[in-house]
Formats: sequence, structure tokens, C-alpha cells
Amino acid sequence: MQLETALLVGVMFGVATYLVLQRSFVKILFGFLILTNAANLFVLAMSGRPDGKQAPVVLDAGVPMVDPLPQALILTAIVIGFGVAAYLVFLLYRLFLDQKTTNAAELFDETRNTGLDPERHGPSSA
Amino acid sequence: MNWAIAPILLPLLTALVTLFWGRPSVARRWGVALAAAAQFLLAVWLVGETLRGSTCVLGVGAWPARLGIVLVVDLLSAVMLALSTLVTLATVLYGYAEVPVRVEHPLRTPLTQFLLVGIHLAFCTGDLFNLFVAFEIMLLASYALLTLEADDWDIKHAFPYVAINLFGSALFLCACGLAYAMFGTLNFAAIALRAEALVGDFRLQLLALVLIFVFGLKAGLFPLYYWLPNSYPTLPAPTAALFAGLLTKVGVYVLLRVFGTVLPHELTFAHTLLAWLAGATMLLAVMGAISRPFIRGILSFHILSQIGYMVLAIGFFTPLSLAACILYIVHHIVVKSSLFLIGGVALRLNGTDNLDRMGNLWKHTPWLGVLFLLQALSLAGVPPLSGFWGKYLIVVVGIEQGAYWLVGASVLASVLTLFSMLKIWNGAFWTASDTVPVRTGDRRWAALTAVVAGLTAVSLLIGLGAEAFVQISLQAAERVLDQEGYARAVLGHLGKVP
Repeated sequence: MQLETALLVGVMFGVATYLVLQRSFVKILFGFLILTNAANLFVLAMSGRPDGKQAPVVLDAGVPMVDPLPQALILTAIVIGFGVAAYLVFLLYRLFLDQKTTNAAELFDETRNTGLDPERHGPSSA
Repeated sequence: MNWAIAPILLPLLTALVTLFWGRPSVARRWGVALAAAAQFLLAVWLVGETLRGSTCVLGVGAWPARLGIVLVVDLLSAVMLALSTLVTLATVLYGYAEVPVRVEHPLRTPLTQFLLVGIHLAFCTGDLFNLFVAFEIMLLASYALLTLEADDWDIKHAFPYVAINLFGSALFLCACGLAYAMFGTLNFAAIALRAEALVGDFRLQLLALVLIFVFGLKAGLFPLYYWLPNSYPTLPAPTAALFAGLLTKVGVYVLLRVFGTVLPHELTFAHTLLAWLAGATMLLAVMGAISRPFIRGILSFHILSQIGYMVLAIGFFTPLSLAACILYIVHHIVVKSSLFLIGGVALRLNGTDNLDRMGNLWKHTPWLGVLFLLQALSLAGVPPLSGFWGKYLIVVVGIEQGAYWLVGASVLASVLTLFSMLKIWNGAFWTASDTVPVRTGDRRWAALTAVVAGLTAVSLLIGLGAEAFVQISLQAAERVLDQEGYARAVLGHLGKVP
């Protein structure tokens, strides 16, 4: 199981990095979602080999138990990741509403006409 | 009562109460100002307590140390708490003086207090995963503050900030997993005891590198600082001062804690890497500062350049250099926040902070000029102001270690800092121009300047009473490096003497 998990984590990190570097907001969003899950899976894999061990729910005497602490950790991490993902969705939606684009490269294109007055916002555009 | 929880509980309660209080009112402002003052007094009291050698430890839920959450307040944590509450108090008062009650954003105060919860938790926590949670609380509040009052133009600068921090968080989570796999625990004290046996193991080096990446990202180390200088200037002045003073310093504090207390001291490769990254940071960032044409942009780059000094001190890794780092943090948080606030006052007076279109401030508001000059020279490191002492100690340690290139870089960065500060001085204060209006008719600037004067007084106190602060820093640094003492204090308190 360890090797398969390691491969899966690696693939997920690769896919996430690829998606985050794309220009479309939706791909970036999915990239971050996969990135969080890859990290969670990585932590889960730190419980060690699960072969022959019991899930930490109801314990029979004498049967070894899977280390429950990484599971508790990723439970926290999942909740946090959920909150951050919700924020990210709203940020990207507001960027779309304000900047009229879903393309991250266009967002930082200074020559694009946004209809906003750069003189009024002078310093922060520099 | 165990006081280790109080620095987290107070801002949390303030945040929740103000969140449900309803619309901003004068009464709510008094409540928040009093709460901020109470937090500051509590932190100062904690500094006094820990200065006598005690360490406040709270095992939350009375779990065994390997599994449970531990809150630890030692001298360094207490000093950081005192600084963060001082800056918060000043920025809260500044915000109240700047914005009338009826236009105040109702969510700014609760979010600022939530930010403080995260920062204080990062200062007080005793285990790695809880540190991750603290970072997330802090980051979520900072994301929200960054976009709360942003207009259509500013909002896009929030995106790189959010994106890079999300990436950093994912890596930090992986680092937690790695540490758990290696040590079987995430408790700082327990890791410190077990890591000795793993010196020379490449996994330890790997963990150190991942942690340098994660914390360097938060602190704004080269080459990971791109997100900072564009996002901070979009914030309103008091929030920008709070961010500038505290957020990157949390990264530096964590570097100090993790490399000083948690990981073994034999990781010389990581220390050397930190020192060289710091050298690159201070030079490149100060050049960025020179290239910027507006006050907030210059100051934002200066945060990074100063981070270079602190991390350089960590990289040298002797008790004296860590003391220099702590002294520098003390100086930097106060000075940098007040410079951002001065920039805010100047922006209000001239109606812009673009140096090409500013001027006349010295003629109309000489006291603001005096405050700026004091803080700017302090930032550049002119004796006897507060910035000098930290830099002096760092240079002394650098020469002792024969790191002449890094010492040269730090001196050069100092000179360039002075140069870019003079650029602000010339552009905003010294230039006499008939076309630039100075709106002293708006009397708010006087109250704002009074707040800045308070912070400047603190920074003068640090500079002139440097001996006392050096002693505190030396003791704090010694206790950060004393891994066995830390482990005994934490594990002994939890009834599990190793």
C-alpha cells in the first residue's frame, strides 16, 4: 500500500502544480483543491503500513491499531482547507466581476483597458 | 489560573463580542480600545513573569505531551506578545482617529482581533501542528482584511498573496507529516529530545529545508518575497502598519523557535543557507525599495530588506547573534509600523503618496517631519537610535565568524536604506512647491500624529535604554537555545519527566 500511496501523492502534486500554473481561474481553483488533498493524503500515509491493523473505531483486544493521530490531524486540515477553498472561490468570483476576465495573465496585463482610471489609483498600479 | 491561554483568549473574546455587537459605535470603540490596552498590559506582565526565569505551560485537555496541544509562554514568546499588542493598540487608536464612526467598516475590528488570535497562537504554541493551525487562522484573517476594503483596482493584488500562501500551507502540512513520521510526535519539546539521535540523517536535512521554504515564504525571504511589495500597499494605513509590523515577523519568530529550540543545533548547512538567502534578500529588496516611486511601496520593500538582517542573525547561529535577532525584531516592529502610519498621515495631508506629486510637508507640519526623520534614521541604523544596536551586534558576530561578504552586504544595504529614506524625505517633506496642497484644515492629522509620536517615544526608549533591551534579548536567546531546559519545563509540567 505504501508504494501506491506514494505514487498517488506524487501524481496529485504534479497535477496540482500543472493546474495552478494555468491561466484559467477554474483550473487554478481545482489545482489548489487537489494540492490540499495531496498534502492530506501525504499526512495520512504517515500512519505507516495499515496491513493487519484495525481501524481505530472499536478495538478488539490484542489486535494492533492504525495510528489515529494523523487521521485527527488531517481532519483539522480538511476543515481548514474547506474554509480556504470557500474564500478562494469568492475571491476568484469577485475578480471576475471587477476585472471582467477569468484569465490570470490578463489580470496583470497593465496595457489592458479595464475601464478603471489608472491615474486615480496611481501608486498601487506601479 | 494558568495565564498561558490568556493572550489567545482575550483577542478571541474581543473578536466575538465585536462581531455580534452590531454597528460600529463610540461605545464599541471604547470597548475595543480598552481590550487592546488590557492585552498589552497582560503581555507586559507576562514579560515580567518570564524574565524571572519561569515558563508558563498549559497542557490543553490534560492529554499526554506526545499527543496533546501544549501552550508555552517563555521569555521570547512574551516579548513578541508585548510587541504585537503594542502595535495593535497603536493601529486601533490610529484607525479610530482616521475614520469617523459612521463610515468605519463593521468587520475591520473583529477581523483584526482574529488576526491577533492567530499571531498569538503562533507565538504561544508548543507543537508543530498547532503552529500550522495558527498560521491558517492568521492567514484567513489576513486574506479577509486584504480584500475587505479593497476597490476594483486593488483587489487583484490579493490573488498572488492568497495563491502563494495556499501553496505554503500545503507544504507546511507535508512538513508536519514528515516530522511525525520521523519523531512520532509533533510536540516541540519531545522532538527536541528525539532529534539528537537523528543528526546526520538526510531526512532531518530535508525537513529543515522544507521548513526553511515554508517559514521563509511567510517571512519574505529571497526568492520568495514577490507577493509582499504589491499586496501591502493596497491596504488602508492602520491595517498596513499592522501587517508590516507583525506578519513577516511571525515567520522570523518561527524560524528562531524551530531552529533554536526544536531542531538539533548541528544543522550547519541549513544555517549557512539561511545566512546567504538573508544576504541576497537585504540587497535585492533595498534595490527594489529605491526603484519605487511611492511611500508605501518603498516601505514595503524595506520590510523585506530588514527581514534579511534578522534572518542573517539566525544564520550566524550563536547566542549573541540570536540576541541580536531578537533585539532587531523589537526595534523593527515598532519602527516599521510607525513609518507606515507616518506614510498614512502624509498621504492624508498631500492627498497622494506618489513622491513626484508630494511636497511642502516640512513647512506646514514640522513635527511629522521630525518623527519621520527619527524613525527613518533608526531604520537605517544611525546611532544612538534603536536600529543601530541590533545591526551593530550582527556585524560584530559576522566579523567574528569571518563572514566578510555578508557583513559587507549588510553595511551596503544600510547605506542604501538611508538613501531611499532620504528619497522620501526629499520628495515629501523638503520639496517646496506652489502647486501641492497641504490639507492641514482637516484636523484629524494632529490626532494621527499624536499616535505616531507615542510609537516613536517607545522606539526612542529602545534606542536610548538599549542596555536593558540587550539584556532581555540575551536572556531570551539563551533560553531559546536551551533545548533541555525547554523540554524539562514543558514535559515536566505535564507530569512526564523524561
